[in-house]
Amino acid sequence: MSLTTTPPANSFWDKHGWASVSTLVGFLLWEITARFFVTSKLFLAAPSQIIAAFIPLWASGELPKHLSTSAMEFVLGYFFAALLGVVIGFFMASFKASKQILQPWVSGLYATPTVALAPLFILWFGVGIFSKVVVIILLVVFPVIINTETGLRQTPHSLIETVKSFGANRRQIFFKVELPSALPFIFAGLRLGIGRGLIGVVVAELFGARSGLGLFIQQSAETFNMPALFAGVLILAFTGIGLTTCFIWIEKNVTPWGQE
Amino acid sequence: MMGSNFKLSAHQVCKSFGELEALKDIDIHVKAGEFISIVGPSGCGKTTFLRIVGGLESSSSGSITLNGHLVTQPGLDRGFVFQQDNLLPWRTILSNTEIGLEIAGKITPEQREKTLSLLELVGLKGFENYYPRQLSGGMRQRVNLARALAINPDLLLMDEPFSALDAQTREIMQTELLRIWNEGKKTVLFVTHQIDEAVLLSDKVLVFARRPGRLQEIVEINLPRPRTLSMKRQPEFMKIVDHIWSLIEFDVRASVLEDAA
Repeated sequence: MSLTTTPPANSFWDKHGWASVSTLVGFLLWEITARFFVTSKLFLAAPSQIIAAFIPLWASGELPKHLSTSAMEFVLGYFFAALLGVVIGFFMASFKASKQILQPWVSGLYATPTVALAPLFILWFGVGIFSKVVVIILLVVFPVIINTETGLRQTPHSLIETVKSFGANRRQIFFKVELPSALPFIFAGLRLGIGRGLIGVVVAELFGARSGLGLFIQQSAETFNMPALFAGVLILAFTGIGLTTCFIWIEKNVTPWGQE
Repeated sequence: MMGSNFKLSAHQVCKSFGELEALKDIDIHVKAGEFISIVGPSGCGKTTFLRIVGGLESSSSGSITLNGHLVTQPGLDRGFVFQQDNLLPWRTILSNTEIGLEIAGKITPEQREKTLSLLELVGLKGFENYYPRQLSGGMRQRVNLARALAINPDLLLMDEPFSALDAQTREIMQTELLRIWNEGKKTVLFVTHQIDEAVLLSDKVLVFARRPGRLQEIVEINLPRPRTLSMKRQPEFMKIVDHIWSLIEFDVRASVLEDAA
């Protein structure tokens, strides 16, 4: 009787050692470059200068204001995109007609850089958050649709037949076999959507907004305030990293059967 | 059909896939508690027949009755043990074993107790909360068997359940199956390629021929029970195996040559 043993507990160094070194060295090189080689503040800001700029911007409530606008747009857009994506993916996987009707639009719009439509949406829906939510939905929904459909379609037929042999009906086949079997695919689609959604937030705000990180970055660029610009970009970067990390953690706990 | 004292009857069952006659006029009668094996060359329709009994496929003509009722679709009166274990990777062993009861909406505390003792019977006590990927092939096949037994079916249908296992594990699983079968004396229909496996396990071996797939001969196995692996080396046992092999040798050669062509 062979059983897979639990993997040996890795030390922090084994898991993250070189990644930490590489990150630290990168920031150090950045600091040195900004201090000694590209000294003009119009072109580059050192990490220390970014932190120095960040603290008052945060304390004054200006950055939190922009951040909360962008966060609201992202959460709304991402939530509706995830919901729509799973539902549309389900229909495309389950019904031949809906697959044929939707496929050209899904393939076409997925391949189109739909951020290019952001100015149009701002004309249509105004400078408020609604236009941004629409842009985010448009960017996030397609990888979710495609992955949901693929995942549902790739359910092994043998597993479906097994539950059929116990008299499972269509609904039971979906919830007990197809959906769990597709979950890893759906999660991968949702994870892809995070990066695309963040791009959507910033780009849509660049074309017209009352507040938001995109607007903040644009205003900082126009006033050649490099430390503030970098502060905005770094917030976005850390948000992306944080969300993706959260996601991987959720994925591990919702689909624990997949890990070796 | 009423009043027949057979558990399972097949009447003139035919199945064709386009031009190909997979099964022709299969007539079989199985008594309650009998262990019946079906052997035959590749393409003789033995798995197709089992799937028709299981309701996973329909016959082109003829009928199957189980306890006097016509079989048209899968049901909880039959437990199917698949060639591949087909365990759901996201479910634990216990949860996989209970899936039939869950589909039927029959999970109760008493049932849970029965399922747990069933897992003990097949030798998986202590593994209830493991995931399938943590088990070896032999253990996964035990779950496959327990899953079919969990619904307490009238008829157990087994489709080459040990063919994916290595030779030694396979022999162990044969004796394990005999031990488990001895506990409940279920009626079993067992499809296999391996003649000695069929002889060791069965009361009767149905020998199928191909082109068209048909029942060629019914071989009664009158060896005493309980049976042990060492019986495989006894002259009587080998005589039966030789006889069955002689029945199908020509067909097997033909099918091998066909595959090579």
